[in-house]
Amino acid sequence: MPKERKIVPIIVSAAIFILMEVAAIHLIRRNDSLQDVWFARGAHKFMAAVWGGSENIKHYFSLGKENKALALENFNLRTELAQVKGEGSDAYIDSISRSIPFIKYVKNFSYIPAEVVKISRNKQHNYLIINKGSEDGVVENSGIITGRGVVGIIDAVGKHHSYALSLMNTDISVSARLGAEGAAGSLTWTGSGSSHCVVRDIPLHFNYEEGDTVYTSGFSAIFPPDIPLGTAGKSRVVNGSSNEVKVELFQDFTAIRYVTVVNNLSRDEINGLAR
Amino acid sequence: MKQYNFFLTYALLVLIQMVICNYFHLSAYVLLSILPVMVLCIPIRFSTTAALCIAFVTGLLVDLLSEGLLGINTLAIVPVAFVRKIVIQLVFGEELFARNEDFSIKKSGLGKVSIALVIVQALFLVVYILADGAGTRPFSFNLARFVASLAAGYAVSILLVDTLAPDSSRK
Repeated sequence: MPKERKIVPIIVSAAIFILMEVAAIHLIRRNDSLQDVWFARGAHKFMAAVWGGSENIKHYFSLGKENKALALENFNLRTELAQVKGEGSDAYIDSISRSIPFIKYVKNFSYIPAEVVKISRNKQHNYLIINKGSEDGVVENSGIITGRGVVGIIDAVGKHHSYALSLMNTDISVSARLGAEGAAGSLTWTGSGSSHCVVRDIPLHFNYEEGDTVYTSGFSAIFPPDIPLGTAGKSRVVNGSSNEVKVELFQDFTAIRYVTVVNNLSRDEINGLAR
Repeated sequence: MKQYNFFLTYALLVLIQMVICNYFHLSAYVLLSILPVMVLCIPIRFSTTAALCIAFVTGLLVDLLSEGLLGINTLAIVPVAFVRKIVIQLVFGEELFARNEDFSIKKSGLGKVSIALVIVQALFLVVYILADGAGTRPFSFNLARFVASLAAGYAVSILLVDTLAPDSSRK
């Protein structure tokens, strides 16, 4: 017998079965108030589950929108925090051009919210591409951060997109500090695993505790200081002259979507003096 | 003739069920019902839709003509009719359908018939006890009632199987 010819009687039987059960329930409800209340309660629970389920499905499909809103809110909060923590005159910020509405200027840094459109994770020289370019105010050598640490450094800028070297790239290093007042060194990726990096050039005499938070030092003219990057782990002596400290990163590189581009407005001046 | 005999026996058993409902109140824990075995033994040539209709009318008759909650037997027996063919297929296999033969203790064995009886009786009792208790009775009471009723129902039903589904080879 063809499949369709088997399905039709099953559907008919199921429909008749449901009708008969509904009729029986109706009979019971009409004749006993206790059962009436019980069935009504059951029906309400069922309806609540159905409505709850449909709400959950609706909510699931609107997660993208909510994520975007949360990322924007995060960005605003981060810039507000930087403003509160920062030092210097607000007059300086006000003097800076505000031609691009979504750029926030806090002290010497500008912050631009962006979304990652492409990211590589399985190479030695990983990169990411974000959806903001020169027309949005992004410039080369800007940093990319999230609420969980440093993500990368902008390497090339297009009109609407920018190419950045990921922190998971053996070619880049970020100036980092062990603890709030500790020694600074350069944070680099070891080339294996996406959850840890190492801080090199830590003086041998400097003592730290495992579990201390590692922050950006602010010495690099790319990233603002005091961005938490991860926690310090075990160390080893390199060439008998310095320590190399393992750092467990806060940032999960397998789940990055919303980022913030941070640009040091005084970078040219700092670099000029350094030369 | 065979079909005529089945319906005559069936009608007689409906009357017996009414008597049981009205006069045999063994205990609060024992619910004696022969409706599941009656529906299970509806000849195999009857479709599920036909079995549903027979079960619905039987349940309604018992409900109307006996004490108790109106509609509760109907509510509990209709699911038995709905799963009847599935239970027969699972327990006795496809051959019965291929040969269009009804099962009997002699042909299929006491074990298989007992399994089928326990399944349908359990399904009937679960629906009946839950609807009867309406969430007001403790789980322990419902469980004790279920176990006692299942044992009593099985004991009576196994005696009726050969009456409802006699082995044709005996004739």
